[in-house]
Amino acid sequence: MKQVLATVLSNSEVLPDIHLLCSPAPEIASESMPGQFVMVRTSEDHDPLLRRPLAIHRVSPLASPIQLALLFSVVGRGTKWLAQCKEGDEIDLLGPLGHGFRVQSRHLLLVAGGIGIAPLVALAENELARGAHVTLILGAPTQDQLYPAHLLPPGIELLVATEDGSDGQKGMATDLLANFTGKADQVFACGPVAMYEVMSSQTSIKGRSVQVSMEARMGCGFGVCLGCAIETRQGMKLVCQDGPVFELEDIIWRGEKGGD
Amino acid sequence: MNLSVELAPYNKRGLQLKNPVMTASGTAGYGMEYAELVDIERLGAIVSKAITLKPRCGNPQIRLAETASGLLNSIGLQNVGVDTLIKEKAPIWSTWGVPVIVNIAGESIAEYGELAHRLEGVAGVSGIEINVSCPNVAMGGMEFGKSPEIAAAVTEAVKSRTTLPVMVKLTPNVTDITEIARAVVEAGADAISLINTLTGMIIDVSTRKPLLGSVSGGLSGPAIKPIALYMVYQVSQAVDVPIIGCGGIASADDALEFIMAGATAIQMGTATMVNPNAPLEVVEGLERFMDSEGINDIAELVGVARLP
Repeated sequence: MKQVLATVLSNSEVLPDIHLLCSPAPEIASESMPGQFVMVRTSEDHDPLLRRPLAIHRVSPLASPIQLALLFSVVGRGTKWLAQCKEGDEIDLLGPLGHGFRVQSRHLLLVAGGIGIAPLVALAENELARGAHVTLILGAPTQDQLYPAHLLPPGIELLVATEDGSDGQKGMATDLLANFTGKADQVFACGPVAMYEVMSSQTSIKGRSVQVSMEARMGCGFGVCLGCAIETRQGMKLVCQDGPVFELEDIIWRGEKGGD
Repeated sequence: MNLSVELAPYNKRGLQLKNPVMTASGTAGYGMEYAELVDIERLGAIVSKAITLKPRCGNPQIRLAETASGLLNSIGLQNVGVDTLIKEKAPIWSTWGVPVIVNIAGESIAEYGELAHRLEGVAGVSGIEINVSCPNVAMGGMEFGKSPEIAAAVTEAVKSRTTLPVMVKLTPNVTDITEIARAVVEAGADAISLINTLTGMIIDVSTRKPLLGSVSGGLSGPAIKPIALYMVYQVSQAVDVPIIGCGGIASADDALEFIMAGATAIQMGTATMVNPNAPLEVVEGLERFMDSEGINDIAELVGVARLP
């Protein structure tokens, strides 16, 4: 974990309201693992106050110095500030943070819902480079919001689902899951909580190793404020420090909680 | 140039810090995370996350929300419990060249005394900060700090069970904070830290419900600095023990304002979460200020803003 000031190399809107920002940050990039994240400061003063957690989208080890790419949705004032950063601007990064994906197989199935593609590209790149077989189910509301296929690493097996049927199969990414789980030893997912809840009830993935990347409001990103604690079957866990990647079966969903 | 400060001049053991900059409880965990990022031995002291007799899970999500230049939190004193702290955290602290002050929170007056008793003689613990100001728990916390009688009783219960220097952290959510300050000093407090967070809430207009899982939370960050500063100004003139100022400090200038208002030392919390290096930047900024202003001892600045 390092705090560095990095220069923005490029920052562009690759999809509606989704930006891809590249920056040389060798201190962070060289140590990072797929699934980890960085906390990015999004103001020069105190407003917005808190850093924003952003998944490490891609690491370019062959670039010199090593580059870090962040893919983020513009959802509020902080990410709007970041979206306006231009080439040559400096950004304040803290990372790499958290625990990433734990890969123990050679046949990986990745499931991305919308912006959830962000950490999965780094995972796919790493695993393809090691000779693993990687299948990606990519879901988005419409064709316009699908992560561009030409930015995906070569060699990946791609399946597409759009909610309006404008590309690939009509429906959700999880609708395709049952057909492909048989091919994979491990499933890795990143997307909205609703997607994970659907997955946790799907029989096709029962008993399989499924890792999901969780999101939470974070204060610090490195385990001191305890703002991002969630209830798991292993007790209270911090999304920032114990996660953001968790075993799907360990997460206790809101609907499951008894009592009040 | 002398930046060192004494926080417990009336206590036999004393509590001397190499400089007046401390981390605030609840924003530095048990110090280990910062130790990985910055040279914590350059800090005056570390105040650990509030500890209770039994481990606590804390409050349900959502626990945090950003406000204009502020942070609203309702963590609910999630912690490992005092036994684990003594067994697992204190031995690490005892190897550090920076004092660690343990913030304690009880659910009854007797529990505060028991916590102080358990921490007596534990290597690695240099002082106790009594938390009678957490706004986010149903039992204890701020309720003990709103009444001068109860705050005094808690202070007495702790003082009678420990030889460690004891500071009491006050809540700003009262009509007259000087009244509470006087009561805890009479009860034996060696120092006073203030302020804890201000109670507040946010409503999510899309769900039409309170955003935080526990409805209300405590507001911290630059947004509360003027309030904290004025309370330090008032309390430092009402009592004669050292004051530790806290609330929205993010820069050396902020720290200087608190010192000039009457604080002997300062704590930084929210700013440190955003910029882990902020406390060290403040230490350096204080040195620069003293150097350029020809000040030999930081004590010369304490309370200089008071009007005659």
